Amino acid sequence: MHTKNFEHVIPFHLIPAHQISYPLLEVILVSPDGRRTRLSLLFDTGASVTTLKAELFELIGLQRWDEGQPVQPGTGGGQITVYQYTATIELLGKLITCPVWLNNQFPSNPYFVGVLGRDTVFNEFGFGFWEGTHELYVTGNP
Amino acid sequence: MTNSIRAHEVTSDLKTIVTSAVSTGAKSPEEALGILERLDRRGIESFVTETSDSLIRYWTIGAQGFLNPEHAAVIRSKRPSPEHENVLDWLSKNIADIQAQYTGQWIAIYANAVAAANPTLHELLGQIIGIDRPFITFIPKEPVVWKFTYAHQKL
Repeated sequence: MHTKNFEHVIPFHLIPAHQISYPLLEVILVSPDGRRTRLSLLFDTGASVTTLKAELFELIGLQRWDEGQPVQPGTGGGQITVYQYTATIELLGKLITCPVWLNNQFPSNPYFVGVLGRDTVFNEFGFGFWEGTHELYVTGNP
Repeated sequence: MTNSIRAHEVTSDLKTIVTSAVSTGAKSPEEALGILERLDRRGIESFVTETSDSLIRYWTIGAQGFLNPEHAAVIRSKRPSPEHENVLDWLSKNIADIQAQYTGQWIAIYANAVAAANPTLHELLGQIIGIDRPFITFIPKEPVVWKFTYAHQKL
């Protein structure tokens, strides 16, 4: 029997009109000039890298969304080109500098503007995912 | 560390609402409830006393550089600011109105209110300079389609 301890319990966010719950996490994106902006991201264990809508490029100090290193990740919907950068986010009390992809084909949704992916970010935490109770358990001391 | 103390308005919109509530009063219970509900929606605590006065908690006192940013992040994760709580709940509750009013626009939410909206994020960012940690999202024109592993469903 393995036992894990988690300091945070994050209820999935319920979309009341549709009775659907989603694991959404609020992060603070820290811009190079110190500006801090809160964003909602979908917790996505299937995403290798944290990915944001391309329009957010200014918040990571860019002049254009596509001035970085192009990457062509495979997705369920085919191959796309995203651009990779480094950004600093604050999540559950931790400041994390991690790779970020900007994607100009990211679907628009009022409840989130990106996905929280594994690279670097997940190393800082341990996660327990309880679909039945619609809860995400998180520890900052994995 | 800077220990200067400053009092500041949350937004000019809030100032207008609060000033209006204080200066003109309410001519009917319905009007009073309307004013108090508007304040509620913006996260401002208010109530009516037994002597028919209104009391509104409006001003925030801030101490710049109160502590190290790393330590602040830890504290905020354990004690979120009231105006930063449940923004998604607030968004869900008001999504129909927000979609009707701001479709195709980026919006900034602060203290349970839309502080600014603009079709371009660049313009929006110019409008919200000075607002501390606004919540930003985009209200799409097209129907929302969930393309992720969690659901394949049109909302």
